[in-house]
Amino acid sequence: MNSAQTQSFAKRYMTMKSNKISYGWSKAKRMKVCYLFLAPYAILFFTFFILPICTSIFYGFTYYNILEKPRFIGAQNYINLVLQDEVFLTAVKNTFVIAVVTGPIGYILSFVFAWFINELPKWLRAIAVVIFYAPSIAGNAYTIFSIIFRGDAYGYLNSFLLDFGIIDAPLLWLTDPRYIMPVLIIVILWMSMGTGFLSFVAGFQGIDKSMYEAGYVDGVRNRWQELYHITLPSMKPMLLFGAVMSITSAFNVCDVPRALAGYPSTDYAARTVVTHLFDYGFSRFEMGYASAIATLLFLVMILCKKVISAALEKVGT
Amino acid sequence: MSEFNIIKSKGTLDFNKKKIKGIMVSEEAKTYFQDAKGNVVCEFTYGELKELKNVRHGGMSSTISVVLKDETAFSATLIDGLKVYNNIDKFWLNKPVMAYSRAEELRRLAELRGEKVQKVKKHLIKRRHPNRSIGGDIGIYILLACVAFLMAFPLIFAIGSALKPLDELFRFPPTVLPEHPTLDNFSDLIVTMGQSWVPFSRYLTNTVFITFFGTFGHLIVASMAAFVLAKYDFPGGRFFFNVVVTALMFSGYVTGIPNYVIMSKLNMIDTYWALLLPAFAAPIGLFMMKQFMEGLPTALIEAAHIDGAGEFRIFWNIVMPNVKPAWLTVIIFSVQSLWNNSAATVIYSEAKKTLVYALQQIQAGGIARTGQAAAVTVVVMAVPILIFILSQSQILETMASSGIKD
Repeated sequence: MNSAQTQSFAKRYMTMKSNKISYGWSKAKRMKVCYLFLAPYAILFFTFFILPICTSIFYGFTYYNILEKPRFIGAQNYINLVLQDEVFLTAVKNTFVIAVVTGPIGYILSFVFAWFINELPKWLRAIAVVIFYAPSIAGNAYTIFSIIFRGDAYGYLNSFLLDFGIIDAPLLWLTDPRYIMPVLIIVILWMSMGTGFLSFVAGFQGIDKSMYEAGYVDGVRNRWQELYHITLPSMKPMLLFGAVMSITSAFNVCDVPRALAGYPSTDYAARTVVTHLFDYGFSRFEMGYASAIATLLFLVMILCKKVISAALEKVGT
Repeated sequence: MSEFNIIKSKGTLDFNKKKIKGIMVSEEAKTYFQDAKGNVVCEFTYGELKELKNVRHGGMSSTISVVLKDETAFSATLIDGLKVYNNIDKFWLNKPVMAYSRAEELRRLAELRGEKVQKVKKHLIKRRHPNRSIGGDIGIYILLACVAFLMAFPLIFAIGSALKPLDELFRFPPTVLPEHPTLDNFSDLIVTMGQSWVPFSRYLTNTVFITFFGTFGHLIVASMAAFVLAKYDFPGGRFFFNVVVTALMFSGYVTGIPNYVIMSKLNMIDTYWALLLPAFAAPIGLFMMKQFMEGLPTALIEAAHIDGAGEFRIFWNIVMPNVKPAWLTVIIFSVQSLWNNSAATVIYSEAKKTLVYALQQIQAGGIARTGQAAAVTVVVMAVPILIFILSQSQILETMASSGIKD
């Protein structure tokens, strides 16, 4: 390839690029009323959602305690997190266990129950939706589990098990490190039928009924085939939305362990990444360190979403 | 037939792959479509009908698709509902008539003509959906009943505890439902509240204030952004929306730390702005609104453009009335999050604290306040659940468009 040709290539590319920019610019000018509409939201969104993410990436590389000016310390926070902070590693392990168990199971349960509920007659469906959705919006109703799982014989579960002779002494559900995680997982699963679940219920109702009749003519013979070949492909957008919601709730576990297992919990058995972040951010005011934790959490969540949307591409084909 | 009303409505006709703006007129014997100059574009009598579908988009717009017996097909998107011209009093009824199904339409026409209305008997047993076995149905019913019991049990237990008198709360073995239900715990709660340093009414006012203004501002700000993102294609719009979708994942906890730093830089710590402004920009509201607005027919907006309406009038007079189900959903999500917001991290003054915070303080009062704590749980959970029960159908209508398209 001679140089003249290369130059003309580059030149053509540049003109194309500049044309594109000037076209975009003139379009943007024509549509300026759109930006006017978007502006109030965009400014607030930038200040309270984008800027925090950017600042937490920045503060992650500094020592910052709000009173003094942030001091740049390189990757020291991250190194400390991984090499020195044993509690953080416990927190990561716990969060990982909670996320891996409650995320997928909560997601699948939401879908399966939404599917079953969809088979019910209309009046019964409305009641079922309320019963399943209520735990996730019931404020701090999960505190009732501290009575159900109470460690003495007055605890509901203990007295039940004692009555039936399954155990002979009350178990310390919320203070014995062996039982804390299973109890937390049960409570979190109880609350997992949230916005994603609602989206699934609505998605099932929105599917065109004539598709099922067409499927029947084409040889779909039971509800499982119907689910895989007709329902799942038409619900892909809802499935992705539900996945985003599941990731959010699976990684942001914080209030439930704090309320049930105490803060801090026995041997840090119920410490999660977010409670760790709270501990450093709002109890010790080590904002730099807390920001480093937040940054890691962002990255993991974004990665998870990418993986799931890639996996959903393959569903139902 | 002077009693018979002519039904007229403005909109766009989709016929032979051409789009024509004009008026659709339904008379007693026939329906026809007039273009802007008054020429009749197409016309059919009810005898020629093979199929007629009427889909309402919410609010006042609807799409009517017609197939005639000679296989001609066309559809019309009507924007201002079906206006009724009252021949007796010679004026247009302002109230739009809801679109209805063919059967209802025939019934209405018959009613208008003064004929006796034939009632269609409903089949008692519906035709079973194909591909369903009775055994499977029974299995699903039993499973759902069991799981529903497990889901509801803690909530029933909470309500039961709140109604128990003190001796039953500490009885062994513990019971689920109270033997002698009493409202003592609730009246004790009011007494405790009355003795607190900051009057109870102050906490309530704070919460109502925050919830009301936070929700109102969020609705306006998010709807405006959602409108342009859904209905206009402008540089940067799609990118912005993708960022918002990603931000759905960043709930209050993760952004809590940097947000605290930003708020302290903006001098907003210990003011309501620290709660209100982030609530205005909640991504879930914009997301729901935008997805729902995409379902509005574009013809609706084009027609208004041709009539010379500016963007703000289109937004306020045409788009907003048509997305009422989405309003409710956005309001409910916002109320839920603001109502449950104890704001412990950004508000320090006792006089500015929210109701939920005060209630949680009582709840943390130890063994002596077990009964009151249960009452608090019931009070806090009752509000969001009641709102959801009352608005379930609208929320589900909005959630149907909640999917994320890649």
